[in-house]
Amino acid sequence: MNPFLQGIITIVVGVGGCIAYFYFSNLFLDKVLFPARGPKAGQNINRANQIRPWLFLFPAIFALGLYLAYPVVGSFVRSLYNRSGNDFIGAGNYIRLFESPEFRTAFFNNILWVIFVPAASTFFGLLAAQLTDKLSWGNIAKSLIFMPMAISFVGASLIWKFVYANDNDIGLINAIRAAFGAGNPIDVLQIPFWNNFFLMVILVWIQTGFAMVILSAALRGIPEETIEAAILDGANPFQLFFKIKVPQIMGTIVVVWTTITILVLKVFDIVYTMTGGNFDTEILPSYMMKFMFRDDGLATAVAFVIMVVVLPVMIWNIMQARKEMR
Amino acid sequence: MFPTPIAKTSRSWQLTYQSLLPVALILWLLPLISIAVFSIKPDADFTSGNYWGWPSSFEGITNYSKVFFESDMPRYLLNSVFITVPTVLGCIALSAMTGFALGIYRFRSNLWIFFMFVAGNFVPFQILMVPVRDLTLNLGLYNTKTGLVLFHIAFQTGFCTLFMRNFIRALPFELIEAARVEGVSEWRIFWFVVLPLMKPALAALAVLIFTFIWNDYFWAVVLTQGVESQPVTAGITSFNAQYRAAYHLMSAGSIVAALPPVAMFFLMQKHFIAGLTLGAVK
Repeated sequence: MNPFLQGIITIVVGVGGCIAYFYFSNLFLDKVLFPARGPKAGQNINRANQIRPWLFLFPAIFALGLYLAYPVVGSFVRSLYNRSGNDFIGAGNYIRLFESPEFRTAFFNNILWVIFVPAASTFFGLLAAQLTDKLSWGNIAKSLIFMPMAISFVGASLIWKFVYANDNDIGLINAIRAAFGAGNPIDVLQIPFWNNFFLMVILVWIQTGFAMVILSAALRGIPEETIEAAILDGANPFQLFFKIKVPQIMGTIVVVWTTITILVLKVFDIVYTMTGGNFDTEILPSYMMKFMFRDDGLATAVAFVIMVVVLPVMIWNIMQARKEMR
Repeated sequence: MFPTPIAKTSRSWQLTYQSLLPVALILWLLPLISIAVFSIKPDADFTSGNYWGWPSSFEGITNYSKVFFESDMPRYLLNSVFITVPTVLGCIALSAMTGFALGIYRFRSNLWIFFMFVAGNFVPFQILMVPVRDLTLNLGLYNTKTGLVLFHIAFQTGFCTLFMRNFIRALPFELIEAARVEGVSEWRIFWFVVLPLMKPALAALAVLIFTFIWNDYFWAVVLTQGVESQPVTAGITSFNAQYRAAYHLMSAGSIVAALPPVAMFFLMQKHFIAGLTLGAVK
């Protein structure tokens, strides 16, 4: 049971280390550095309280700096160098990227993903939240709709491989087509342009549960009086939904939408396992994997393009957070 | 609930609505149902062309025991456990402290550090790939579980801190002030006052991080290779490549790989959903 023991020791040392660091650093601050006694007791307490937050924050800032701040800068610098990393070539990698038709395909496909997936997931999520809201077995339905969210992207892709399989018997889609009389099986993942959408469906399938859970919580939060008033005024169910409910949960819809948008820009697993980027289904995150271990300069350049695309959404989110903080 | 618009509509419409919903639900879950059916079928059903019909015999135990005893799946599963559990514990320990600092203390750069954590939450992880891989190589942690754990802890801390801070902000501040007036030291306030109140947040975060880490594939591919350290997400792809035409084994393998987070979700559903709602809306 060597690996098991090793695991337990790692956990004990790690968590114990965290607690010990926290306990002893506070002790040191209070008892040794600025003791709360003697002639300068009051001043010492104030000083200790100014330093204390940094004690709590230090481990996280250190970890975040080492694994986040340094790599972002490092990636940008690396993207300015050539393949071996010896020669500075400025924007050379970026020029090469924008000249390659594959990159343009990936970029275009990525735009499709960013438009389609958040919209479809939010729409289906809202629909599911509304339809299951008043049902007696609504909670069971919600759990089932939500279940794909717990499966990894890779797992989901492998499951959907069965659905799309190019075989009249195994592939669900082809089996249905065969049942309706279509003879020869087709590989839906090779239909140009539309194959992108077949891949997106997988992510929509996963993310709908997320949208549904958040939106159904928001729907529950709508004040009952507004709905009652609308019904008394004679609103039909559609008016009730689109004119009364949706405007009141608009803020949540936007949050869900942006959260999924950011996620879409990072997901590479689905394309990577389903088509490997063939048949013009490449998106930026999976395109980047092509250069991993082969051309770090180009790989980091692609990564930086993704970063630039995410940036507006990120800044918008930070501004929202700031507004919330008053 | 007083106004139920659906109850006021005609009987026939209600009936179609009530019956269409289960149909839609089954369609939604059809991919899962189909592989579940495949996984209990015998090999012979696939050669004889009985794909969608009733299984000629139930071979669930044979198929699953093949996955567990004749492949590398148990190794991969164990690897996943050794990667996920320390990460969850580490993230929670770290973020409880940082969340406490950001939520309770008011100091000048509080806001900026908070923004740094928000930004860290949204940075596309692709940009970290090359430097983190080089860093891991230089530290001699490439292809080890420790390397993966360290990185996951560092990367998830941003999200966890955000989550904890929001939760601590919502706690009654008077409690902490009262404790301070009583002369309780800060460390004791954290341990005996704030931490017990944070239990729901800790549980929600633990469930959430567990699924995030368990389902990670990107870093598993970038930082590890081979059966001795790769988690199950990477393992299942090589498993499926190995049993390319054995549909019953592929299905069983996929189910085994997906099961732990799904089970976690059903057992801890309340915490999971509370976590998602807290994380997204706040």
